[in-house]
Amino acid sequence: MSEEPPSDPLARLGERIDRARAERVPVAKSGGGPGLQQGLAAAWRIGIELVTAVAVSVGLGWALDRWLGTRPWAMVTLFFLGIAAGMLNVYRALTGTGGAVGWRRAADRAARPAPPDDEDC
Amino acid sequence: MAIELHPLEQFTIERVLPVRLHGLDVSYTNAALAMTAIVALIAALTIFGTRRAALVPGRVQSLAELSYEFVADMLQSTVGPQGLPFFPFIFSLFMFILFANLLGLIPYSFTVTGQIIVTFALAIVVFIGVTIVGFVKHGLHFLRFFVPEGVPALLLVILVPIEVLSYCIRPFTLSIRLFANMLAGHTMLGIFAGFAALIGALAIFPVAIDVMLLALELLVAVLQAYVFAILSCLYLNDAIHMH
Repeated sequence: MSEEPPSDPLARLGERIDRARAERVPVAKSGGGPGLQQGLAAAWRIGIELVTAVAVSVGLGWALDRWLGTRPWAMVTLFFLGIAAGMLNVYRALTGTGGAVGWRRAADRAARPAPPDDEDC
Repeated sequence: MAIELHPLEQFTIERVLPVRLHGLDVSYTNAALAMTAIVALIAALTIFGTRRAALVPGRVQSLAELSYEFVADMLQSTVGPQGLPFFPFIFSLFMFILFANLLGLIPYSFTVTGQIIVTFALAIVVFIGVTIVGFVKHGLHFLRFFVPEGVPALLLVILVPIEVLSYCIRPFTLSIRLFANMLAGHTMLGIFAGFAALIGALAIFPVAIDVMLLALELLVAVLQAYVFAILSCLYLNDAIHMH
């Protein structure tokens, strides 16, 4: 192709770019690096997710207790809810789409072939 | 700054330009200075990178275009075309965190993303913004986001609070992830640098470790900026598509 006189260098460059683009394999989305990195990232994620969930909920419970004078009930309730929420977040992070907090999407992926009436939520 | 022996000293906020306003301390600090530098650098990159747009890009233009395409691809693949109106926000977010992390790696510079208040401010902006987008797009229907489908009413009493809680925890995990990564990495660098200052001729070993850690920190800096941006995209996706 480079033999022919440069009729319009820009046009030829454009063509070459287009061809290169077409050849390029569509990159899989948001891929992680090799194993170790992904593992490290997941470990960080799980740890932070769990600890933060419990800490934030207990803090919230403590504040609610102070405000409403219901010591220690809000804190106890929220402690357990916080553990559940943290685990839920971890579960979703690892089974879902790499970080989405998607209840239905994760479920869809796991089992059902996405029934159409799911669409509205 | 003399020899920095305390590994946490690098995170102290100092007043560069003391200002008091109605008894409030609104001094221009080293953190503010670092943030100004970040914004100036990003602005310079994007302005100079696009001013003389050549078909075959030079270095600066290539850098600007690469970052643009990277964020656009990320948004496109996570949210889809409906996400593109939010591109300026996600781009600013990503570039700000990336530059903050990278500039923080320069010795004696200040790492703003190592301050929980900075990362939390970023995360809470994302959280509130995404919630508003959700309500604007879906109205009160957005609340159904917290109600799992096909669950007996009795279980909903437990599940809905868990869902709401796990939603409200997002800004905390988002900010703490970035903050903790930066804090841990820079503290580690500081500790080994402190060893080097103490042991004289043997200092070559901690310095060698620091060099290797710096490479790791470079990876973490880019990765965490990416993670923050992609999680923001995913939250945005939740709000727009309500999955």
